Formats: sequence, C-alpha cells, structure tokens
Amino acid sequence: MSLEFRLAKRNIGRNLRRTGLTVAATVFAVFLVVVFVAMAAGMHEKMIEDGVRIHSGHLQVSGKDYLKKRTLEQFVALDAELLEQLERAPSALGVAPRVVGFALASKGAATHGVAVFGVDPEREGTVSSLPTRLESGVFVDGNGHGIVLGERLARNLGVELGDELLLYSVAYSMETAYDLFEVVGTLRLPEPALERTLAVISLADAQAFFAYGDRVSEIAVLAEDADHVDALEADVRVVLAKRSDQDLELHTWGEVMPELKEFIFIDDAGMYIMLAILVVVVAFGILNTILMSVLERARELGVMLALGLRPRSVFRVVYLESMLLAGLGLGIGLALAIPVVLYFQGHPIPMSEDLQGAAQVIAMEPVVTFKLKPMNPIGSMITILGVAALAALYPALKASRARPVDALRSL
Amino acid sequence: MLEATDVSKVYETRGVETVALQGVTLSIGGGEFTALAGPSGSGKTTLLNMFGALDVPTRGMIRLEGQDLGALSAAELAHLRLLKLGFIFQAYNLIPVLSARENVEFVMELQGVPGAERRQRAMAMLGEVGLADMAEKRPLEMSGGQQQRVAVARAIVSNPRVVLADEPTANLDSKTAEKLLDLMQEMNQRHQVTFLFSTHDPMVIEKSRRTVRLRDGRVVDDELAAA
Repeated sequence: MSLEFRLAKRNIGRNLRRTGLTVAATVFAVFLVVVFVAMAAGMHEKMIEDGVRIHSGHLQVSGKDYLKKRTLEQFVALDAELLEQLERAPSALGVAPRVVGFALASKGAATHGVAVFGVDPEREGTVSSLPTRLESGVFVDGNGHGIVLGERLARNLGVELGDELLLYSVAYSMETAYDLFEVVGTLRLPEPALERTLAVISLADAQAFFAYGDRVSEIAVLAEDADHVDALEADVRVVLAKRSDQDLELHTWGEVMPELKEFIFIDDAGMYIMLAILVVVVAFGILNTILMSVLERARELGVMLALGLRPRSVFRVVYLESMLLAGLGLGIGLALAIPVVLYFQGHPIPMSEDLQGAAQVIAMEPVVTFKLKPMNPIGSMITILGVAALAALYPALKASRARPVDALRSL
Repeated sequence: MLEATDVSKVYETRGVETVALQGVTLSIGGGEFTALAGPSGSGKTTLLNMFGALDVPTRGMIRLEGQDLGALSAAELAHLRLLKLGFIFQAYNLIPVLSARENVEFVMELQGVPGAERRQRAMAMLGEVGLADMAEKRPLEMSGGQQQRVAVARAIVSNPRVVLADEPTANLDSKTAEKLLDLMQEMNQRHQVTFLFSTHDPMVIEKSRRTVRLRDGRVVDDELAAA
C-alpha cells in the first residue's frame, strides 16, 4: 500500500463522527438517486408499454400525412407481401394492420360518437393488449358482425352482451355507411377517455363498413421493448424502401403519442433537478469535511512538506481522502439500494385509491413499477465520484500549495 | 557545511516592516553541535528556517555544502531537504496517523529506500533512542519525551548532513530535556551529523560545544565551550 493511500485511509478514520456523517449523507443520496431513477425508469417504461400496447405499437406504418389528418383518405394499400415482409423483419415481435375510423353508435335513444378500431383478430394480440383486456364476453373473431365496446361506452349506451348496436358513418366512398353489430364483449382500459369511445370490430368488417377495399389506416409494429425501437426502425425502413409503389410514412411511438413523450421528459427533468440538488448538497458535505480536515492539519501538512513530501503527493493524499469518503458512501448506498430496487422490480406496488385516478389520467395502470437499468448504478457511481473529485479540488490545491514555513510558523 | 553571508530578512505585514535578521554572517562546520541562543524575537528561528531551506533571505546568501540555496527552485529545495536535512520541531510534530516506526520510516520512504531495509533501519534507530518496544504505538499513546525521541530518530535515520532543531527541549521537563540532549550529543558523535539548534534554555547552552548569540537580528557573540 502506497504511503499516500495509507495516509489518506488513516486520515478519514481520525474523526469518525465527521466521516460517519459525510458517509451517511452520501449513502442517503446514492440510495435516493438509485431508487428514484429506477422508479422513474420502471414507471416510464410501463407508460410506454401500456401506450404502445393499446395505441401505436413501437412503430406505426401509415399513409402520407395520416398522423396530421387521421382520415380515411390517408391509407396503406395492404397486401400479403407487405405484411409478410414486416413480420419477417428481425426485430419485429408483432405486426397488426388496423382500420381506424369514426362513427356514431346508437342503441335505442342513446347515441354516442365512437372510435372504430378494425383489427385483425389473429394478429392484433401480437401487438396490442386489447384482446387480454376483456371485462366480459369474447374478443372479435371475424365471424358474424361482432363488436367489442369499452366498458364505459357500453354502460353509457345501455347495451349488454348479445344486444345489437347500430353504427353509422361516412364511408371512404363518401356514401353513408351503416350496419348492425352484435355486442360480444366489453373492455376495461387504463385510459377512461378511450374506454368511453372505443369500439372494436374485425378488420374485414371495418373494411366492408367503410367501403375501404384492401386498405388499412395503419400497421402497428411491436419491438421487444422500447430499447429495441432503433433496430426495429432500421429493419422496417429497409422493408418500406422496397415498396416504392406507395408513399408510406413511418413513425415511432414518440411521434404518435407526443404527449406521452413530453410527459416523460418533464417528469425526468423534474426528478433530475431534484437529484442534482441532492448531489450538490452531498458535494458541499464532502467539501466541508475535507476542507475542515485540511485546515485542522495545516501544521501537520507543513511538517510533511518540510520533511520532503512533494506538493503533488500532498494533493494526492487529500484527493484520495475525498474519493475514499465518496467511495465508501457509494458502496454502502448501492449495497442498500440495489436489493430494494430488485425486490420491488419483482413486486410492483399497487397505488392507493387516491392515486389510481391520477394514474388513469395519464393512461397508466395504477401500479408503481421499478426497473434497474445498468446505467443507473453506473451513472450514480460516475456522478458521486465526479462530484467528490470536484469537491476535493479546492482543499487539495490549498494543501499542496502551502509553504511549509507558513504552515509551521516556526521550524 | 552551512554558511550565511550578510543575510537580512524583512517581513512585511499589512504595510508594517519587521526586521528579523540584519547582515548575519555565520559559518557552521561539519560535525558541530551548535546552539543559536537569544531571547524571543532575536531571529533564531528565522535563521534556522533559512538554513533549513524553508525560507529565503531578503538579502544575502545561504549556502549548504557550497550550494547557493537562493538559486534553487521550490522543488529542488524540497529535494535538498529530503536528502540532506533532518528536522526536530519544538512541538514534536510527529504524523499522528503513523506509528513510531512509520514516522521514523517516513523520510526514508520518500527517499525510496526499500521496505525491508527501511524497517530494519527504523527499528535499529528506535533501539538507539530506547524506544524499540514502542515501535507500533501512535504518537498520542506516547509521552512528550518519547515523542521527541522518535522525532530525533526520524531526523537522524535518513543520514542527513545537518539536523536543525527549533527549541527541542521547550516542551519537556528538565530531566527529560537533559536525557534528550544527551541522546542528541551521542547521535552527533556516533553518526558525525551536524546539529544546529535554537534555544534559550541555559542547560542546552551549557551542553552545546559552540554558542552563537543573537539579539535584534544580529550576531552579538560566538563562543566555543571549553574542551
């Protein structure tokens, strides 16, 4: 063990109370940073996952300007080859073509505007969670004129399973479209607004209802998770490049759901500002400890300089003290935080009833989830050690630049 | 060995000048056991700091073995202190986080002496000052006299050319001070190391072989003890 390291190690043990308090503050900060970042990562991933599993998929292929106009005029001419090419893309977990339109739904005197989702019963489950969100009945299977409604919509319309519901709208041909559908199921969705408006029918029924031929509004493509979207996007772009016969657009989930992306950005910004304040407080704690220690040892440092210890060695001793303090706090903090995060990663916490309403506003399931990504502890490590390195700079320079004669006052 | 030629030192604090040394010319030969005596403020410590390469004169020249210290950089002075000078401080000034042995090894470690040799020499030196059994004690576990003996061992073990001691007995009772002086004399004779120390303790002056008296920053007397 080098002399510098030995001196640094023993020096931080000199005032155990002060060292203990500084280490405790660092442990506290590291614990909060790791837990909060993991919670944000888990919650945001869940929000994205819930969003892409109901709305867009991680990627959405659509006709030109569909995202801006969202009418039947913007479409994808669907053929088996395009579907097959997308399904064969290496990073694609699922592919689901959809027709999306608007209609009025009537039962007796009750009429409500609905968002009609025409889905491929076989493929929809590979992308979205809609088939698994049944509250009652069954999902559309392409046989008969089945329709699945959001639970709130069904309540508002006063319909029950087996009832017939009239949909009418304007078809792609600009003719009036109307047809009767049998309510075969209801859906419970995390987003109340969607649950009040969603009506799901089969893709074939939607294409017939809107006189849409083989067209679809969008094709949702799902990646393994949000971290694999870039690879999927590259694969899908290769597929679309081969289809020069159509003017198609490709959008990521963030472009399809900009409000969700913005929410995550703002939420992250707020959290990181709070954590930055915490880290600055820790930095001042370390600075205070090291500076006090240097000032108290002015004479001792002067003796060492007088005896021949080089100023850069004095600098390194003080620097090492700071890094040891931070390293100790970091080690204990990570040792406490990582098991806690891993536990809650496997055991999501249900939200209280008060918070459930707030969660629904942002279309999220009311559970607090955690996700420990490798960058979380690595980032904490870099941050805390970086901050300790900065905090040590002034005391270390002050100590190393002391003139031994001033430090000693007398020989 | 050590030479001061027409050395003056003026300190300036908030515009007020204080003259610490005025035209001091003094030569200390190899193997001497010399006391710088004088009342407080006479310039003893200032002169000792100059000889110790810790401070520079306002005017004049300090030479160690013919080398002008004023011509050396701070790093070169640090290197010179490491290789040629040993220090004994008034308040012992051992490094509190190191044991007695580690304190004695400190300078040798900076000099790059290998660990095994360092340890062996440190233990031998602690034996010479009668503290072999205290080798692993930290300074706070030792009495003032014991700490000062460790300081003497630390100053001598690295084979310096000169040991400079500032009021080495000031914080010791008379019995312990006498023992320490006997030890320093023994080291001076056995290791042929030059000793230069400041003091106003009559017992220390009595035991020194040469006494240089300072007053108001000037040398007023320079006498050799009777053989």
